[in-house]
Amino acid sequence: MDWRALFGFASLPKPDFISAYEKSLERKIPKSKPLSELAFLVLDTETTGLDVKKDHVLSYGSLQVIDSRIRISSSKEFYLKPKKRNREAIKVHGLVQERPYVSRERVIRTFLEDARHQVLVGHHIGFDLAMLERVGKSLGLRKIKNPALDTYDLAVRLDRGRYYDPHTVPSKEYSLDHLCERYAIALDDRHTAAGDAFLTAQLLVKLLKVAEAKGIKTYGDLLG
Amino acid sequence: MANVIVNRIIDFLKKYPPFSFLSNELLGQVAAEVDLIYFEKEEFLFQKGEPAKSYFFVVKEGAIKLTDKAGGVEETVEFCDEGDVFGVLALLGKRPYILNARANEPSLIIAVPVGIFEKILNENSQVSLYFASGFASGQVVVRSGLSQTQKVRDLLGRKPDENGLMLLSGQRTLQYSHPVIQCPLGTSVFNAVIQMSKASVGSIMVVDENQHPKGIITDKDLRNRLIAKGLSYDTRVEAIMSQPVVTASKELEFSEVYLNMVKHRLHHLVFTEDGSPDSPLLGIISDHDILLSQGNSPAVLIKALQESEDIHEMAKLRNQAEGMLKYYLENELSIDFIAGILTEINDTIIRSAIRLALTKLQPSFPEVQELDFCFLGLGSEGRGEQLLRTDLDNALVYQDVPEHLREKAQSFMHLLSRDVLDVLFACGFHSCPAEMMANNPQWCQPLSQWKRYFSQWIREPNPQSLMMGTIFFDFRAVAGKHSLADALTQHVYEEIRQEKVFLNFFAKNALLNPPPLGFFRNFMVEKSGEHAEKFDIKLRAMMPLADAARVLILSHQVVGINNTFKRYEKLAELEPNQASLFRDAGKAYEIFMRIRALEGLANESSGRFIQPDSLGKLQRQLLKNAFFPIDEIQKILKVRFQLDYFGN
Repeated sequence: MDWRALFGFASLPKPDFISAYEKSLERKIPKSKPLSELAFLVLDTETTGLDVKKDHVLSYGSLQVIDSRIRISSSKEFYLKPKKRNREAIKVHGLVQERPYVSRERVIRTFLEDARHQVLVGHHIGFDLAMLERVGKSLGLRKIKNPALDTYDLAVRLDRGRYYDPHTVPSKEYSLDHLCERYAIALDDRHTAAGDAFLTAQLLVKLLKVAEAKGIKTYGDLLG
Repeated sequence: MANVIVNRIIDFLKKYPPFSFLSNELLGQVAAEVDLIYFEKEEFLFQKGEPAKSYFFVVKEGAIKLTDKAGGVEETVEFCDEGDVFGVLALLGKRPYILNARANEPSLIIAVPVGIFEKILNENSQVSLYFASGFASGQVVVRSGLSQTQKVRDLLGRKPDENGLMLLSGQRTLQYSHPVIQCPLGTSVFNAVIQMSKASVGSIMVVDENQHPKGIITDKDLRNRLIAKGLSYDTRVEAIMSQPVVTASKELEFSEVYLNMVKHRLHHLVFTEDGSPDSPLLGIISDHDILLSQGNSPAVLIKALQESEDIHEMAKLRNQAEGMLKYYLENELSIDFIAGILTEINDTIIRSAIRLALTKLQPSFPEVQELDFCFLGLGSEGRGEQLLRTDLDNALVYQDVPEHLREKAQSFMHLLSRDVLDVLFACGFHSCPAEMMANNPQWCQPLSQWKRYFSQWIREPNPQSLMMGTIFFDFRAVAGKHSLADALTQHVYEEIRQEKVFLNFFAKNALLNPPPLGFFRNFMVEKSGEHAEKFDIKLRAMMPLADAARVLILSHQVVGINNTFKRYEKLAELEPNQASLFRDAGKAYEIFMRIRALEGLANESSGRFIQPDSLGKLQRQLLKNAFFPIDEIQKILKVRFQLDYFGN
């Protein structure tokens, strides 16, 4: 007997989209797959702050890069109703006007559907994934287990080789702003989740070409 | 609702044709379906012979070169930069690619799926015309007809809110006659005419008891329907009035009114309170009113110039003509028409100047005052293509006189030329740097001397004389005795008939300026000097075509056609198997003339040097397309005059 059920503590049955997502993780991407054939989901979130435990996701933007092509048709942009209006976040992101908000479930469902069999990409992707896990927690999402590629790490690696000392990296030079400038990407719609995701996608396709030229040719080379 | 990313694509695409012709909604649909692809320098997008992909391309950032392998060497045919559309075979013929596409620098490319565009192609005439006339890059347009291009230009060039006829001085407000001379139904014609006569107007409105317009009687109706028919003056007005009357609302804009009248061939348009014939009469406007409101109509201008006795007034009138030219160009009137009007205006100034000079000089030269002479326009003036007041090229030929009068005749003609040129300078024309003008004694000569000049140029061709040839062979009688010019023309053809090799030299000379193909991204621009980075449209585009037309028309012994575009029209007629190429060449020349004139007006310059960046995308493509016939025409010259075997 499940004692938790007895006391009414059992979590609700897991929604289908989470089960489907978890099932999709069983299939691994072969290490020999060429970079040009990989499927990426590039994403970004805007949040009320940088504290994964306290802050909330305000908006989510993503789009896919498949076969080295940025698929505009896959682009998503969602706004969540903020629970707490953190003044600083509002100052940075300018998220003041009313948006057509969507539910947390809609965001997580869409994200998990899009994420199946994809390499997740973001600038400081770890933070975004942690925030998304927080949004999905109450829906039954435990862990986002896709392979993840941080464009920050990739950019540093392309300059300094695979085994660099993180403490010696002048991290400012690898901010999204700096990298976009360096790779001649126009800084449009900066500080909107979808806008930043689009910038990151453009950065990704350019970084991947540099990577290929440096001998990083397969999925295994990239993330193995 | 489109998200930030899709909006970003929309913002980019809407700047460039053919996307600029799409509605926001449609553009949103297209933008939401595209892919972005990044290519490193020298990477291939597609290669010649590959089956067409299911999308076509737009350059978002960077530059793509379209190349072809000729004789083992990869040659760049065209450069595409930001906003250029290419690879459209996928869209049109679904044939394999005919060129390679390769990144000339790191480039971000938008791939537009063909599927979504096919529907648009079928439904949007602007978009389909854009593609059909070869505006996209890498489409070879040589034989596909620049006349089509012209059509697109007309269609695409105008924004929807500018559809009116700005030709009419941009007049927006309407002034109609008010009150209107009118009479009720049942009035006798006699009484109606008395009213017309009193008010000295040419028409009278017939209204019913509610003041609703029922018909109109004009002078013409009186002539045709009353007097010619032998009817009595007691006839009632309704028996002879024109009806129904076409009515309009007073809210209409001037341009709409004008268009309305032209469309329905109306001489009068009647305004009523609500615009329908069943509402009270407000006013009436006649085509004559419209004409009068156009102070600078060509007819008015030319008449004023003919009658002018004052050099300052002539200068003022000539300035006014410039404003008219601008309207004509901006409203895409045919170059044939524009050049015709401008030539007539310039010729009128010369004729008036001659009239004034003769009145002044004749008393001092009683022995030679009746001497025949002919004032010749040379160069672009001679070809009737001078839209702007650029350098003057002209000459004077006069009748041969007995030895003892020679000096008198010479000084009379010289003074006459000097006075005419002074008027032209005052009217804003520029002096020819090489002094090929009638006030230069060398170019103010009796017929026998002119014959000697031409004989010498034809019999002893050298670079100098061939250069003279390009200017002098286009002579045209502007004023005076045309028979003198005709005699000279006949002499020229006789000489050429005897000295056939001259045409080969002349043809060779016409190839001195190669076509501006192989332009890098934009055009071949001047490398140094004052006009560095600018494109010399006269030297690189117009002269090659004008020179070729002259040689070809001389070889056909055609007399009396001087316009380059009319020469090509004639050549198309004479050589049906080359007709389409010749027509394209003519159209191309018209396009160059138009662009040059607009440039000149905008910058108050000769318009000769054009900054490629200052042109819009569509104009740049139009210009690029217009270059194609140059090369083809030069090839014809090469073959026909065997120039490859023809030494210097």
